[in-house]
Amino acid sequence: MNAPDRYERFVVPEGTKNDNHSCRVSYERDTKIVNAASFTIEREDHTIGNIVRMQLHRDPNVLFAGYKLPHPLQYKIIVRIHTTSQSSPTQAYTQAVNDLDKELEYLKQAFEVCF
Amino acid sequence: MDRPAAGASYQRFPRVKIRELKDDYAKFELRDTDASMANALRRVMIAEVPTVAIDLVEIEVNSSVLNDEFIAHRLGLIPLTSAAAMQMRFSRDCDACDGDGSCEYCSVEFNLSARATDSDQTLEVTSNDLRSADPKVCPVDQARAYQQALSSGDYDPNAGDQRGILIVKLRRGQELRLRAIARKGIGKDHAKWSPAATVTFMYEPDIRINEELMDTLTLDEKRSWVESSPTKVFELDPVTQQVTVSDAEAYTYDEEVIKAAEAMGKPGLVEINAKEDSFIFTVETTGAITAYELIMNAITVLRQKLDAVRLQDDDGDLGELGAHLGGP
Repeated sequence: MNAPDRYERFVVPEGTKNDNHSCRVSYERDTKIVNAASFTIEREDHTIGNIVRMQLHRDPNVLFAGYKLPHPLQYKIIVRIHTTSQSSPTQAYTQAVNDLDKELEYLKQAFEVCF
Repeated sequence: MDRPAAGASYQRFPRVKIRELKDDYAKFELRDTDASMANALRRVMIAEVPTVAIDLVEIEVNSSVLNDEFIAHRLGLIPLTSAAAMQMRFSRDCDACDGDGSCEYCSVEFNLSARATDSDQTLEVTSNDLRSADPKVCPVDQARAYQQALSSGDYDPNAGDQRGILIVKLRRGQELRLRAIARKGIGKDHAKWSPAATVTFMYEPDIRINEELMDTLTLDEKRSWVESSPTKVFELDPVTQQVTVSDAEAYTYDEEVIKAAEAMGKPGLVEINAKEDSFIFTVETTGAITAYELIMNAITVLRQKLDAVRLQDDDGDLGELGAHLGGP
């Protein structure tokens, strides 16, 4: 009765802004701690959460990186990042996503060579 | 946003070695990457690589013993050759059709028409009776039988594995006529769209035998210790009486040999660790796509997902916040 539709797990609902700024990733600074922020990513799960978190751990400027699913029936993840003053959460996050993309490209080429 | 580019890149450089590659089965080693990446690939292979499966069934006549939705459910589970799935659009994203999600760009139409004749024999309605509008998308066993007929020329339509997937059995006078639309989807939505039969990965074990301790064992003790492992990992050479590792990967991380060594009074006889960045993947598909395609599509889909979770640079207040917080 209260279960959400199956496609809610991956279909982003129509945001109020219809351009490419979707509500997919939103950002909240922490008011009490400097250089700390929580990113809320809609319609994602452990697949993205865990690889982004582990990649953030490799950055020496990141003091804290963690993710959680607030509830298994709400399809979003919250990634919390604290950095030193040498970097910022947005910078660390963007760097992590870019590094993962490059790693996957490298992996793809490694497979193609193998074949 | 005049922030200087971030310093070093903390990228990993994974290595791959393919051990076995068949049409629907692949075994490969993935090294120098993290468990989270291996798990992400596994999850994407199972749940987010798109395929094509029957999604909408219009039944004209059904006088069989199974009811309509039962037959529709079974039709959905039939694997269809989905090599074209990555290029197709999802029905919900398609703007070419007039809203009903059944145009040629986003769907494939199937027809099935079967009527049991007046003989006493039961008619088996199978996936071979499904006629596709697009020859590239058809039930997997139909495609396989066609390939076999082309290559070897001996095609027996009544052989055990050529008869097709059984949908329903009809008795004299019963009829089944329907029209089905197959659409692109992912395993997350419904398991019928999952192209993977099983995808598993294991840590590569690092087994070291303490040779000095091993020398203090008698031949019988060695034999009983080698046999205490449920899978054949070790081997006792009868000539030299040495215990060696015959197949490290048969080890399933049960700790029977370690417990057996302790029971014999020789703890530390063997040291077994899992290498944290070395994985052995086993990928098996349903036949909808080949194993190699599954792996490559999984990498592509994972990259698309990462692309979707990037921060948008053109957001006004985000840039301001970023400048507020960031920058050395």
